[in-house]
Amino acid sequence: MIDYRARFRSNLAIAACGLAAFAVVPFVANSGLMFLAGLVAINIVFGMSWNLLFSGAGLLSFGHAMFFGGGAYAMALVSLHWPGLPFLLGLAIGAGAGALIALVFGVIALRRASGVYFAVLTLVFSELIHLVITKTTFLGRNDGLVGIPRPTIETGLFTLDLTSATAYYYFIVVAMACAAFALWCFQNSPAGRLIQAIRQDNLRTAFLGTSIFGWQLTAFVLSGALAAFCGAVMVPFTQIASPEIAYWTVSTQPILFTLLGGAGNFWGPAVGAILFGAIDYGTRAMHGLSEITVGTLLLLVVLLIPGGLLGFLQHRRQKKRRKPTEPAPKRTEAQP
Amino acid sequence: MTAILEARGLTKAYGSVRVLEDVDFDLQDGEAHVVIGPNGAGKTTLFRCLSGETRINGGTIRFAGEDVSGLTGAQRVKRGIGRTFQVARIFPSMSAFENLIVAIETRERTHQGLRFTFGYIAPRRAVVAEAERLVTELGLEDTVDDVAGTLSHGDKKRLELAMCLALKPRLLMLDEPTAGMSPSDRAEAVRLITRVRDSYGLSLLLTEHDMEVVFGLATRLTVLHHGEIIASGQPEAVRADPRVREVYLGQH
Repeated sequence: MIDYRARFRSNLAIAACGLAAFAVVPFVANSGLMFLAGLVAINIVFGMSWNLLFSGAGLLSFGHAMFFGGGAYAMALVSLHWPGLPFLLGLAIGAGAGALIALVFGVIALRRASGVYFAVLTLVFSELIHLVITKTTFLGRNDGLVGIPRPTIETGLFTLDLTSATAYYYFIVVAMACAAFALWCFQNSPAGRLIQAIRQDNLRTAFLGTSIFGWQLTAFVLSGALAAFCGAVMVPFTQIASPEIAYWTVSTQPILFTLLGGAGNFWGPAVGAILFGAIDYGTRAMHGLSEITVGTLLLLVVLLIPGGLLGFLQHRRQKKRRKPTEPAPKRTEAQP
Repeated sequence: MTAILEARGLTKAYGSVRVLEDVDFDLQDGEAHVVIGPNGAGKTTLFRCLSGETRINGGTIRFAGEDVSGLTGAQRVKRGIGRTFQVARIFPSMSAFENLIVAIETRERTHQGLRFTFGYIAPRRAVVAEAERLVTELGLEDTVDDVAGTLSHGDKKRLELAMCLALKPRLLMLDEPTAGMSPSDRAEAVRLITRVRDSYGLSLLLTEHDMEVVFGLATRLTVLHHGEIIASGQPEAVRADPRVREVYLGQH
């Protein structure tokens, strides 16, 4: 039998180590590196939101930028036009914008298409949203929305001043930790198991008496809300919402993170995002080298270790453990 | 006895091919009703129509007095119709035990609301206890921690049966429960099915090819040929029917 509590504890330990690492960054690194670390933290959860669909529900999205961009623009709009609004409410509106886009799109696409056709629909819809942003004056057209202020949070008891980059960096780390925790709880809840089950055999789940469409839509809306939350949190950090964050290249990011790190593991997108950030930083002086390095690495990973880095490590560990007596088991996608 | 499942004038066509033609079919509460017929007779199609996997083109299906013709398979499951498939359908990447957990939790989800989506990091104790009970009852102890996709054919079928029992159905539909099994496994399967039928008070609807299994289980037998019922009644009476011998049993 699976020891669920031990699994929870070990994942909590991993999360604690990760949090500690992010917490010391402002003490040991310069502001440029801290800025990058903040973006990496956001990218981790962005990647996880994509992987919720890919590994969880078995849905391939090529258009996650529409959620990320949607959340970012919603946040930018409320903070520019509605300065009195509590910041946390603004974040909720951002996440809600993503959920709404996902709901509208999901109702249409999940009924009509599956597999590659679904993926292409997500891409098309996301491009549509990008196009709308670049043509709408209200949304700043190609220039985007600039000068977005960093907030202060009034709690009644005390005031949290997040106007400095460092303070806001810590807010990002905490917000992303909360989001990742909520996602973990969802993926390990009965509903998370059910969504997994739908991916593995949808006819069987239908004949367990559940609506496949309803649960796939739930996963899709949750994933959209989470990606939009990431976008909304990022905007006050970079202080700009530009159309590029709704462009298709942004949609490829969570796919890269997940495939690099390992789709079969909850922490796969995190490993991928950190690795991606490190490559970006290491090659920052040489324009274009980052893309070449990432591209080569991805090619190698896909060809040589399709389970990603974490999948590879897990496979090696299992092989070592079983070596003396029994042959290596068939590789499965079972959750760690 | 009263009819728990009644189909009237059931018609199903795939394109221009009529697979079922004006079929009337009754299943009494508590009986084990076996449908036999040569390959292509429409057994599986009848199964799919009754379980809600495909839409019917004409006729009505009533279950426990309610018209279920327009309901989806999932909605019929909620009303008490469970089914297995010819090739056992399970969740291959999960352990056998997790398969059972999913089935039990799915049955219970409607009472839990948001707790179902975020509330638990581990299955509740009652769920685990129920799954363990099913494991003992179906004799799955040795394979319970194995990844379900690696189980043997017979164990997959038993696991699928256990998942269906977890839904607490009133009527259980088994599509060729012993297909591809060895003779000794078949006898074992017949004993198991008889046992769960008694302990759960189930009505059964089965399709089957193996005559020993058919006569070992059936309290009523229906013969389907070219999408029409040519005989239905007590197993021994149907066996003696000359038309049945001609189209089906005679070949054996």
